[in-house]
Amino acid sequence: MVNESRSYKVLRYVFLIGAVIFVIVPILPLIFMAFKTGSEYSSTSVLVPPQNWFNFYNFKYAIRVGNLGKALINTGIILAVSLSVQLLFTTMVSYVLHRFEFTGKRVVFTLFLLTMFIPVVTTQTIVFQIIYKLGLVNKMLSVILLYSGVNIVGIFIMLNQLNAIPKELDESALIDGASYFRIYASIILPNMKPACITLLIINGIGYYNDFYIPNLYLRKEVQTFTVALHKFFGNTATPFEIVAAAILLGIVPIMIVFIFLQKHIFYGLAGAVKS
Amino acid sequence: MKIKRLLALLLALIMVVSMAGCGDAQSNQTNKDLKGTTIKVYTHMGQRVLGEEKKDEQGNTYRDANTAILKHLAERFTKETGINVELIVVTNEEELRPLFQVKDDSVDVFTCPNWSLEEWKAYAEPYCTVEEGIAQYGEYAKAMPTVDNQIYCIMPGRAYNQAVVYNEEVIKAAGYDEIPATLDEFNKMCEKIKALGITPISLHRVENWPLATVQDFAIYVSGNPNVFAECLKTENPFSETSPFGKTIKIYTEWKAKGFFEPEVYTDFGVAMDSVAYGKAAMMLFGSWVVPQIQGRVPQGKDPSIIKFAPAPDFGAGRYVLAAPADNWAISKFSKNKEAARKFIEYIANDAQFIADSGFIANKKGVEPKVPELYAIIDKMVASGDCKVVLQPANDENALNNQKVLEEAGLYADYKYVGLLFDALDITRPDDWSAYNKQVETQNQLYAKYKQELGVSWKD
Repeated sequence: MVNESRSYKVLRYVFLIGAVIFVIVPILPLIFMAFKTGSEYSSTSVLVPPQNWFNFYNFKYAIRVGNLGKALINTGIILAVSLSVQLLFTTMVSYVLHRFEFTGKRVVFTLFLLTMFIPVVTTQTIVFQIIYKLGLVNKMLSVILLYSGVNIVGIFIMLNQLNAIPKELDESALIDGASYFRIYASIILPNMKPACITLLIINGIGYYNDFYIPNLYLRKEVQTFTVALHKFFGNTATPFEIVAAAILLGIVPIMIVFIFLQKHIFYGLAGAVKS
Repeated sequence: MKIKRLLALLLALIMVVSMAGCGDAQSNQTNKDLKGTTIKVYTHMGQRVLGEEKKDEQGNTYRDANTAILKHLAERFTKETGINVELIVVTNEEELRPLFQVKDDSVDVFTCPNWSLEEWKAYAEPYCTVEEGIAQYGEYAKAMPTVDNQIYCIMPGRAYNQAVVYNEEVIKAAGYDEIPATLDEFNKMCEKIKALGITPISLHRVENWPLATVQDFAIYVSGNPNVFAECLKTENPFSETSPFGKTIKIYTEWKAKGFFEPEVYTDFGVAMDSVAYGKAAMMLFGSWVVPQIQGRVPQGKDPSIIKFAPAPDFGAGRYVLAAPADNWAISKFSKNKEAARKFIEYIANDAQFIADSGFIANKKGVEPKVPELYAIIDKMVASGDCKVVLQPANDENALNNQKVLEEAGLYADYKYVGLLFDALDITRPDDWSAYNKQVETQNQLYAKYKQELGVSWKD
């Protein structure tokens, strides 16, 4: 064990406490706001705690008027379907790109790579026209389709993980008479669990927080959580105490997922780094 | 002979009756044809669809369903015509654009306050010619969005804009019964309000759009409605010798004197609350803001403490700007254009709806109802203490001036106001060197791009 000087210890704690404050301070006003009345919010500083910590009016209002329950269910369905499809396609594409040699492999990989340099927003006029022509605007399937696509970040994560899976395992299975799909399903996929969890975390949080695509494609009929939240914003004025309560409600599902899956999440992120 | 005359009279009578009957039958036929049609109305008027946001006795925010006046109007329209109306609230125009770009036919009627003339032409159905507009709405029709002699959206009300929205209790506490007539007296009143620990003017500078008032106040400073276009007549529009420069300087002097809020309002709602709760004395805006602030006055207080009066005399007299208000257009891609037109006409004929919206019905043949909020202005206009100036239409000079400002990078977000206003450091209110330098910079930019574009004032 390394001997630490007293001043070093103090410095370390000061730094850590500072980092914690840096992270918590922006969230504190949000928590304060959610329990304040409209008048209180307007007449006090955002850093002043609420007079009554048991004022749940804003939460009830947000759920009732914003229809947040339904919006969270919609978000859940979109995430579950699109992430499953994306995971399946990403692992399959990565498996093919990593394990097989074929004509045009480099071209395919470069095309995936190119998509990284095109900002999503710049292609949306054309993408919107395609989705519109398919008759999917205002349907959940539009967002599921757009989220399900394979992206290069996912491929990189998977390729890193595939490097750690010995090719000999595939070859042995092949000698034993396994088909390529069997090898993928029984050997590759189970060994790619850490990378899959990493991808789920990165894209899951990204899609959960995404406002642009659901707002553009779903509008009124089917709302996701972020779109429902946006409906509280007025043309000039916004009841921020209600928005704050709604945001806190939106954090709850993520917290639950984190509490139950924290072991896998840490393992997933650490595994991805290690590999 | 007598019989012949009698027969002719009888025949004429039959013809008149049958023609009248034919008209009714036609109208009834149209209504019958449209019965059951559903039109989709996309509007940014959230307050009028969902109800105004108010505070209950505990101070919690709620929507007052009674004030959902557009929803109520749509229900009446459906009852009378059999045409169903679906109201869809959009936060801004950007939400509509993708639908128009794919020529979507789901939008029938829409309101869109901030579009360019090119966009109106591309996405809206021509509503009527300018001549027809003038016949229906008088001179106000000239200020409606027009391209190639076609009006693209109908603005059925008129509003008095850019005046003082104030909390009467606060100015009374400072010893005043009304907004003073002169700028000197107005400044003295602000000093007294400040001495009470109350913010004299709530500006909400954190956003850019509140600076629009400054642009319009230049009309009051000069007494000239074409002051924006007439920037082209000068090389130095931002010097205090020019109306624009003078107006911006007045605002910046108020800033130096500490008349604006010291804190940053997180949202315009908080800015409105500051006046409603008496934490600030006034705002300088259009009439649209008055019902919203009145709705925010805490329970137990009379909302009519929020009053609307002309700005003081900035040197050329007391003025109030009159402009057409609200905007209703038919989508070019709508499949229900006839029903959409009927709905817009229904709105234009409803003086009560227009008054409840804070405006005055403008269509000829419609008996206007003047909202209570205009009481002070109306009285002063009638007595001649305040002059009404009509918002000028965008003519060639105005568009050329806009181009120069755009090329100079000063037009978007009212930068030509904001950059000057922000140049004064509030912690050093006596040091105007940065402000004066910014005046010089902006004047140079203006002169440079005016010359580069080769535009000048055209009589």
